[in-house]
Amino acid sequence: MNQIKSYPYQIEELYRNTKGCTYQCDLTNRVVLQFGAYVSAFKFHDFRSFCQKVNSVNIHEMIFNLSDEYDFQAIQTPSCQQTYRLSLCELVQLRDLLNGTKFTLELNSLLHERIYSVNA
Amino acid sequence: MKDLARLRTSLKEEIEIALNGQVKTEAEASSKYLAMASWCDRNGYEKCAGYLYKQSEEEREHMMKIFKFISDMGGTAITPEVPAVQLEFPSFKNVFEVALENEIAVTLSVNRIVGKCRREDDYATESFMMGFVKEQMEEEENARRALELFDLIEETSTGKFVLDKEIAKIGNE
Ligand SMILES: [Fe+2]
Repeated sequence: MNQIKSYPYQIEELYRNTKGCTYQCDLTNRVVLQFGAYVSAFKFHDFRSFCQKVNSVNIHEMIFNLSDEYDFQAIQTPSCQQTYRLSLCELVQLRDLLNGTKFTLELNSLLHERIYSVNA
Repeated sequence: MKDLARLRTSLKEEIEIALNGQVKTEAEASSKYLAMASWCDRNGYEKCAGYLYKQSEEEREHMMKIFKFISDMGGTAITPEVPAVQLEFPSFKNVFEVALENEIAVTLSVNRIVGKCRREDDYATESFMMGFVKEQMEEEENARRALELFDLIEETSTGKFVLDKEIAKIGNE
Protein backbone atom coordinates (compact mmCIF):
# COMPACT_ATOMS: atom_id res chain seq x y z
CA MET A 1 0.00 0.00 0.00
CA ASN A 2 1.19 3.46 -0.94
CA GLN A 3 0.12 7.00 -0.51
CA ILE A 4 0.91 10.12 -2.50
CA LYS A 5 0.80 13.57 -1.04
CA SER A 6 -2.01 15.09 -3.06
CA TYR A 7 -4.22 11.99 -2.99
CA PRO A 8 -5.94 11.17 0.30
CA TYR A 9 -6.57 7.42 -0.01
CA GLN A 10 -4.53 4.25 0.20
CA ILE A 11 -3.55 3.09 -3.26
CA GLU A 12 -1.79 0.20 -4.97
CA GLU A 13 0.93 0.69 -7.54
CA LEU A 14 0.14 -0.45 -11.08
CA TYR A 15 3.16 0.67 -13.09
CA ARG A 16 6.15 2.96 -12.72
CA ASN A 17 8.78 4.54 -14.94
CA THR A 18 11.39 7.27 -14.44
CA LYS A 19 8.91 10.08 -14.98
CA GLY A 20 5.87 8.92 -13.06
CA CYS A 21 3.74 6.24 -11.53
CA THR A 22 0.16 4.94 -11.66
CA TYR A 23 -1.93 3.50 -8.87
CA GLN A 24 -5.29 1.89 -8.38
CA CYS A 25 -7.61 3.15 -5.66
CA ASP A 26 -10.08 0.43 -4.65
CA LEU A 27 -12.03 2.78 -2.43
CA THR A 28 -13.01 5.19 -5.21
CA ASN A 29 -12.50 2.84 -8.21
CA ARG A 30 -10.09 5.32 -9.77
CA VAL A 31 -6.84 5.00 -11.63
CA VAL A 32 -4.50 7.59 -10.18
CA LEU A 33 -1.79 9.00 -12.42
CA GLN A 34 1.21 10.89 -11.10
CA PHE A 35 3.35 12.24 -13.94
CA GLY A 36 5.95 14.93 -13.24
CA ALA A 37 4.01 17.62 -11.43
CA TYR A 38 0.60 16.37 -12.59
CA VAL A 39 -1.68 14.21 -10.47
CA SER A 40 -5.04 13.02 -11.87
CA ALA A 41 -7.61 10.49 -10.70
CA PHE A 42 -9.53 8.89 -13.58
CA LYS A 43 -12.73 6.93 -13.65
CA PHE A 44 -12.01 3.76 -15.58
CA HIS A 45 -13.63 4.76 -18.88
CA ASP A 46 -12.03 8.20 -18.68
CA PHE A 47 -8.67 6.50 -18.27
CA ARG A 48 -9.35 4.50 -21.43
CA SER A 49 -10.20 7.58 -23.46
CA PHE A 50 -7.22 9.49 -22.06
CA CYS A 51 -4.94 6.63 -23.18
CA GLN A 52 -6.51 6.72 -26.63
CA LYS A 53 -5.93 10.48 -26.84
CA VAL A 54 -2.29 10.19 -25.80
CA ASN A 55 -1.69 7.27 -28.16
CA SER A 56 -3.26 9.08 -31.10
CA VAL A 57 -0.84 12.05 -31.07
CA ASN A 58 1.19 12.07 -34.26
CA ILE A 59 4.76 11.82 -32.98
CA HIS A 60 6.27 12.12 -36.46
CA GLU A 61 4.61 15.50 -36.87
CA MET A 62 6.13 16.62 -33.60
CA ILE A 63 9.58 15.52 -34.68
CA PHE A 64 9.61 16.81 -38.24
CA ASN A 65 7.43 19.89 -38.11
CA LEU A 66 9.64 22.80 -37.10
CA SER A 67 6.95 25.35 -36.30
CA ASP A 68 6.55 26.32 -32.65
CA GLU A 69 3.14 24.79 -32.07
CA TYR A 70 4.58 21.32 -32.64
CA ASP A 71 7.14 21.64 -29.82
CA PHE A 72 4.50 20.91 -27.22
CA GLN A 73 1.30 18.95 -27.19
CA ALA A 74 -1.65 19.96 -25.01
CA ILE A 75 -3.88 17.09 -23.94
CA GLN A 76 -6.99 17.60 -21.85
CA THR A 77 -8.14 15.04 -19.35
CA PRO A 78 -11.63 13.72 -20.26
CA SER A 79 -13.29 15.53 -17.36
CA CYS A 80 -11.53 18.68 -18.66
CA GLN A 81 -10.20 19.76 -15.31
CA GLN A 82 -6.59 19.55 -16.37
CA THR A 83 -4.48 20.09 -19.41
CA TYR A 84 -1.25 18.18 -19.78
CA ARG A 85 1.37 20.21 -21.62
CA LEU A 86 3.89 17.74 -22.95
CA SER A 87 7.19 17.94 -24.80
CA LEU A 88 8.02 15.17 -27.25
CA CYS A 89 10.14 13.40 -24.67
CA GLU A 90 7.43 13.65 -22.01
CA LEU A 91 4.83 12.39 -24.43
CA VAL A 92 6.86 9.26 -25.11
CA GLN A 93 7.34 8.69 -21.39
CA LEU A 94 3.64 9.24 -20.67
CA ARG A 95 2.74 6.76 -23.40
CA ASP A 96 5.04 4.20 -21.86
CA LEU A 97 3.53 4.79 -18.44
CA LEU A 98 -0.08 4.56 -19.67
CA ASN A 99 0.46 1.52 -21.84
CA GLY A 100 2.31 -0.23 -19.03
CA THR A 101 -0.63 0.57 -16.77
CA LYS A 102 -3.09 -0.80 -19.30
CA PHE A 103 -1.08 -3.99 -19.38
CA THR A 104 -1.26 -4.35 -15.59
CA LEU A 105 -5.01 -3.67 -15.60
CA GLU A 106 -5.55 -6.27 -18.33
CA LEU A 107 -3.41 -8.78 -16.48
CA ASN A 108 -5.46 -8.12 -13.35
CA SER A 109 -8.69 -8.72 -15.30
CA LEU A 110 -7.27 -11.96 -16.63
CA LEU A 111 -6.29 -13.11 -13.14
CA HIS A 112 -9.78 -12.34 -11.90
CA GLU A 113 -11.33 -14.25 -14.78
CA ARG A 114 -9.07 -17.30 -14.79
CA ILE A 115 -7.97 -17.70 -11.18
CA TYR A 116 -9.91 -15.80 -8.55
CA SER A 117 -13.37 -16.63 -9.89
CA VAL A 118 -12.72 -20.25 -10.90
CA ASN A 119 -13.89 -21.71 -7.58
CA ALA A 120 -16.54 -19.11 -6.99
CA MET B 1 -7.05 -5.52 -5.96
CA LYS B 2 -10.42 -5.01 -7.68
CA ASP B 3 -10.92 -5.66 -11.38
CA LEU B 4 -11.73 -2.05 -12.35
CA ALA B 5 -12.25 -2.77 -16.04
CA ARG B 6 -14.87 -5.45 -15.48
CA LEU B 7 -16.67 -3.46 -12.79
CA ARG B 8 -17.14 -0.60 -15.19
CA THR B 9 -17.90 -2.36 -18.46
CA SER B 10 -18.42 -5.77 -20.03
CA LEU B 11 -16.86 -4.59 -23.28
CA LYS B 12 -13.21 -5.28 -23.97
CA GLU B 13 -11.47 -2.26 -25.41
CA GLU B 14 -10.96 -3.92 -28.80
CA ILE B 15 -14.67 -4.74 -29.07
CA GLU B 16 -15.66 -1.23 -28.03
CA ILE B 17 -13.44 0.21 -30.76
CA ALA B 18 -14.91 -2.19 -33.34
CA LEU B 19 -18.47 -1.29 -32.34
CA ASN B 20 -17.73 2.42 -32.56
CA GLY B 21 -16.32 1.69 -36.01
CA GLN B 22 -19.63 0.08 -36.94
CA VAL B 23 -21.53 3.14 -35.63
CA LYS B 24 -19.52 5.19 -38.11
CA THR B 25 -20.13 2.69 -40.91
CA GLU B 26 -23.91 2.85 -40.36
CA ALA B 27 -23.84 6.65 -40.23
CA GLU B 28 -21.98 6.71 -43.53
CA ALA B 29 -24.45 4.22 -45.04
CA SER B 30 -27.30 6.51 -43.97
CA SER B 31 -25.59 9.49 -45.57
CA LYS B 32 -24.94 7.56 -48.80
CA TYR B 33 -28.59 6.57 -49.16
CA LEU B 34 -29.59 10.16 -48.54
CA ALA B 35 -27.35 11.32 -51.39
CA MET B 36 -28.88 8.66 -53.65
CA ALA B 37 -32.38 9.78 -52.70
CA SER B 38 -31.46 13.33 -53.61
CA TRP B 39 -30.09 12.21 -57.00
CA CYS B 40 -33.29 10.28 -57.73
CA ASP B 41 -35.44 13.25 -56.79
CA ARG B 42 -33.43 15.56 -59.03
CA ASN B 43 -33.77 13.19 -61.97
CA GLY B 44 -37.47 12.46 -61.72
CA TYR B 45 -37.38 9.08 -60.01
CA GLU B 46 -39.77 10.12 -57.31
CA LYS B 47 -40.81 6.71 -56.00
CA CYS B 48 -37.24 5.49 -55.71
CA ALA B 49 -36.31 8.68 -53.89
CA GLY B 50 -38.93 7.81 -51.28
CA TYR B 51 -37.57 4.27 -51.04
CA LEU B 52 -34.03 5.52 -50.54
CA TYR B 53 -35.06 8.08 -47.91
CA LYS B 54 -36.54 5.18 -45.99
CA GLN B 55 -33.32 3.17 -46.38
CA SER B 56 -31.39 6.14 -45.06
CA GLU B 57 -33.58 6.30 -41.97
CA GLU B 58 -33.16 2.58 -41.42
CA GLU B 59 -29.40 2.92 -41.45
CA ARG B 60 -29.63 5.66 -38.88
CA GLU B 61 -31.72 3.37 -36.70
CA HIS B 62 -28.99 0.74 -36.98
CA MET B 63 -26.46 3.32 -35.88
CA MET B 64 -28.54 4.31 -32.87
CA LYS B 65 -29.06 0.69 -31.87
CA ILE B 66 -25.32 0.04 -31.73
CA PHE B 67 -24.67 3.41 -30.11
CA LYS B 68 -27.09 2.61 -27.29
CA PHE B 69 -25.71 -0.91 -26.93
CA ILE B 70 -22.20 0.47 -26.33
CA SER B 71 -23.56 2.87 -23.72
CA ASP B 72 -25.71 0.23 -22.04
CA MET B 73 -22.72 -2.08 -21.73
CA GLY B 74 -20.80 0.64 -19.90
CA GLY B 75 -18.65 1.65 -22.84
CA THR B 76 -18.03 5.04 -24.40
CA ALA B 77 -20.14 5.60 -27.52
CA ILE B 78 -18.53 8.07 -29.88
CA THR B 79 -20.55 10.37 -32.16
CA PRO B 80 -19.16 9.53 -35.60
CA GLU B 81 -17.59 11.90 -38.08
CA VAL B 82 -19.22 11.40 -41.44
CA PRO B 83 -17.07 12.13 -44.50
CA ALA B 84 -18.37 13.55 -47.77
CA VAL B 85 -20.19 10.95 -49.89
CA GLN B 86 -20.76 10.45 -53.62
CA LEU B 87 -23.44 12.88 -54.82
CA GLU B 88 -23.53 12.22 -58.56
CA PHE B 89 -24.19 8.97 -60.41
CA PRO B 90 -23.68 8.31 -64.12
CA SER B 91 -27.02 6.49 -64.47
CA PHE B 92 -30.16 5.34 -62.68
CA LYS B 93 -28.89 1.78 -62.68
CA ASN B 94 -25.55 2.83 -61.23
CA VAL B 95 -27.29 4.15 -58.11
CA PHE B 96 -28.33 0.60 -57.29
CA GLU B 97 -25.00 -0.91 -58.27
CA VAL B 98 -23.33 1.37 -55.75
CA ALA B 99 -26.04 0.55 -53.18
CA LEU B 100 -25.29 -3.18 -53.51
CA GLU B 101 -21.54 -2.58 -53.19
CA ASN B 102 -22.17 -0.59 -50.00
CA GLU B 103 -24.35 -3.30 -48.51
CA ILE B 104 -21.71 -5.92 -49.22
CA ALA B 105 -19.10 -3.77 -47.48
CA VAL B 106 -21.40 -3.40 -44.45
CA THR B 107 -21.96 -7.18 -44.35
CA LEU B 108 -18.22 -7.80 -44.33
CA SER B 109 -17.71 -5.34 -41.52
CA VAL B 110 -20.51 -6.93 -39.46
CA ASN B 111 -18.94 -10.35 -40.03
CA ARG B 112 -15.54 -9.11 -38.88
CA ILE B 113 -17.05 -7.96 -35.60
CA VAL B 114 -18.74 -11.31 -35.02
CA GLY B 115 -15.36 -12.99 -35.63
CA LYS B 116 -13.73 -10.66 -33.12
CA CYS B 117 -16.43 -11.39 -30.53
CA ARG B 118 -15.75 -15.11 -30.88
CA ARG B 119 -12.01 -14.66 -30.48
CA GLU B 120 -12.59 -12.53 -27.35
CA ASP B 121 -15.25 -14.86 -25.89
CA ASP B 122 -17.75 -11.97 -25.91
CA TYR B 123 -20.99 -13.88 -26.52
CA ALA B 124 -23.27 -11.05 -25.43
CA THR B 125 -22.01 -8.77 -28.19
CA GLU B 126 -22.00 -11.68 -30.62
CA SER B 127 -25.67 -12.38 -30.04
CA PHE B 128 -26.43 -8.66 -30.38
CA MET B 129 -24.53 -8.55 -33.69
CA MET B 130 -26.35 -11.63 -35.02
CA GLY B 131 -29.38 -9.37 -35.48
CA PHE B 132 -27.28 -7.38 -37.92
CA VAL B 133 -26.08 -10.49 -39.73
CA LYS B 134 -29.72 -11.32 -40.47
CA GLU B 135 -30.51 -7.73 -41.38
CA GLN B 136 -27.67 -7.71 -43.90
CA MET B 137 -28.99 -10.86 -45.61
CA GLU B 138 -32.23 -8.96 -46.30
CA GLU B 139 -30.46 -5.76 -47.31
CA GLU B 140 -28.29 -7.57 -49.84
CA GLU B 141 -31.24 -9.49 -51.19
CA ASN B 142 -33.17 -6.25 -51.73
CA ALA B 143 -30.24 -4.52 -53.39
CA ARG B 144 -29.81 -7.50 -55.75
CA ARG B 145 -33.49 -7.54 -56.56
CA ALA B 146 -33.28 -3.91 -57.67
CA LEU B 147 -30.54 -4.78 -60.16
CA GLU B 148 -32.51 -7.82 -61.30
CA LEU B 149 -35.38 -5.52 -62.21
CA PHE B 150 -33.03 -3.62 -64.52
CA ASP B 151 -32.48 -6.91 -66.36
CA LEU B 152 -36.21 -7.56 -66.63
CA ILE B 153 -37.40 -4.11 -67.59
CA GLU B 154 -35.77 -2.31 -70.48
CA GLU B 155 -34.74 1.27 -69.81
CA THR B 156 -36.93 2.92 -72.41
CA SER B 157 -38.81 6.00 -71.27
CA THR B 158 -41.85 4.03 -70.12
CA GLY B 159 -39.44 1.36 -68.82
CA LYS B 160 -37.83 3.92 -66.55
CA PHE B 161 -41.22 4.92 -65.25
CA VAL B 162 -42.08 1.30 -64.45
CA LEU B 163 -38.65 0.65 -62.92
CA ASP B 164 -39.08 3.62 -60.62
CA LYS B 165 -42.39 2.22 -59.38
CA GLU B 166 -41.28 -1.42 -59.12
CA ILE B 167 -38.00 -0.78 -57.28
CA ALA B 168 -39.84 1.33 -54.70
CA LYS B 169 -42.01 -1.70 -53.91
CA ILE B 170 -39.07 -3.92 -52.96
CA GLY B 171 -39.31 -5.33 -49.47
CA ASN B 172 -43.01 -4.48 -49.18
CA GLU B 173 -44.42 -7.49 -50.97
FE1 LIG C 1 -27.32 -1.06 -41.68
